[in-house]
Amino acid sequence: MPLKKTNIMIKGSLYFSYTVILICFLFPLFWVVSLSLKNRQEIFAAPPRLIPKEIAFSNYAHVLQNTSVVQYLFNSGKIVIATVLLTLAIAIPAAFALSRLTFRWKREFLLIILMTQMISAVVVSVPLYRFFSQVGVLNNFYVLVIVYAAVVLPFSTWFLKGYLDTIPNDLDEAAIIDGCNRWQTLRKVIFPVSVPGVASVTILIAVQSWSQFVVPFILLDDSRLYPVSVGIVNLQSTQTSVTTHYLAAGSVLSILPVIILFVLLQRYIISALTSGAVKG
Amino acid sequence: MDANNNMTINHAEKKRGSWRSSPLLWLIPLIAVLAFVFVYPIFQIVRLSFTDANLIDADFDYTINSYIRLFTLPGFYQMLSTTSFFVFFSVVFQLICGFFISLLIVQGEKFKIKGTVIVRTAVLVAWAVPGVIIGIIWNTMYNETDSGIFNYILSFIGMGPQPFLSDPLLSLLSVTIANIWRGTAFSMILIYAGLQTLPSDVIEAARIDGANAIQRLTRVILPILSPILLINLIIISIDTFNTFDMVMALTGGGPGRSTEVISLSIYNSIFNKFNMGEGTATAVVLLFINVMMTMVYLKVLGRKDK
Repeated sequence: MPLKKTNIMIKGSLYFSYTVILICFLFPLFWVVSLSLKNRQEIFAAPPRLIPKEIAFSNYAHVLQNTSVVQYLFNSGKIVIATVLLTLAIAIPAAFALSRLTFRWKREFLLIILMTQMISAVVVSVPLYRFFSQVGVLNNFYVLVIVYAAVVLPFSTWFLKGYLDTIPNDLDEAAIIDGCNRWQTLRKVIFPVSVPGVASVTILIAVQSWSQFVVPFILLDDSRLYPVSVGIVNLQSTQTSVTTHYLAAGSVLSILPVIILFVLLQRYIISALTSGAVKG
Repeated sequence: MDANNNMTINHAEKKRGSWRSSPLLWLIPLIAVLAFVFVYPIFQIVRLSFTDANLIDADFDYTINSYIRLFTLPGFYQMLSTTSFFVFFSVVFQLICGFFISLLIVQGEKFKIKGTVIVRTAVLVAWAVPGVIIGIIWNTMYNETDSGIFNYILSFIGMGPQPFLSDPLLSLLSVTIANIWRGTAFSMILIYAGLQTLPSDVIEAARIDGANAIQRLTRVILPILSPILLINLIIISIDTFNTFDMVMALTGGGPGRSTEVISLSIYNSIFNKFNMGEGTATAVVLLFINVMMTMVYLKVLGRKDK
């Protein structure tokens, strides 16, 4: 067979498989958007309609006005920003030390950090719930953020350490000869050149913390503090007031920030994930 | 090389008479947070599992009754086999789907065809959607009435309405399929990263030697990728054992306890049945699974380093 013809065949079958993959992965999202725009009759229509006959934007208005979804979104935003800041403040110096200093037990220390990453959040949340309720800090925002940060700290530290390892030591040397101490070296020389790595890890922390469910589900019982993940489950369980189309609209609202972030930053996210992946 | 560079720095520091570098100051915040959120609770949960404590009171006595009761409950083994089914099929199919999708994307990039970025993004979006939302979405798609979309699609191929979420066995399958959808992106991205590092001259050499596409895949690409596949396998196994949010929102563990995976079982025992002993003992079982799998992981990483 001539080369040109095989090429066309390969391209054709690639396009075909891309279509199948796209349908598989986008259909559930399409479906929830479709549900969120249906009115009550169409929710129960049999057979189901892919695209609603009448687009009911009023579902969104209803959800925004009559449920706490806006509050939940706001809470999630607050938690995510605080978690990102706290995690970076802890992980950057730690990663710098793990990348630049030589000390005993370094390898063991790195492995222990890695191990904490593997521990189920349910397992640690139960004793924490008990402890927090005894000392009276359940529903405390700052304590909650510390737990959120702890969940993402292991991979953030590993990721940043890996990134700093790729920055040549000559820079440190030059800074030290110019009279910087270690802290100044990090602040004035290393940090500015590691902004891309910090940006990548920020995205990963933000996505993970936005999705975080177990920690707030167990450690919060004041619904005014719920992040959107717990808030939506709460809406789901109070089904008398919320029917499917409203639940769908709430779900769409709660994934919209992540999806927008994703489509805008997808190139950086891919490189963040792949560079993290290769480091293991 | 690393040691060399560090030596020069130490040398420079000594020459300037600056302070000797101790790592402790840099690491203390990290150590404090991890000790507080991981080390202390792990110690506590193991201790609590050997007591008759409840969720609130501070007093308790030591006993091993929780374990004796747990290991004699038939429900415990039922839950373990539910979890095993869920983990095994999730992991196998996430790995297979992730592998083929990344292979297709890399192929597409080679032919410079449009759409690779869209496919990549679409798969990754599934990974970014919070687990509870995935549970809710799939719950609506599995709707068993005439307005359910999956049953509508199945009706075209004459497979009639299926009790996706009310039949014990089928519901476990339904949960597993939703989880495969969710987790494929992670495997895809890891394998995609691995495929980028593949030396193209080796594959070219195999092609010149007359290896066809399937031979190149099984004899060249797979062996080179095998360390990454193994690491991927372990990470997603641990992740799947720890799954809670998606199942919680999709079935809540039901019908009955047929989709109650291990972390859901811990939660239900403690917070719904108020059975602290059973819950903490189950948590220690999960902890044991986590630690065992991590050991395997570290072993594999150590081998890769050499």
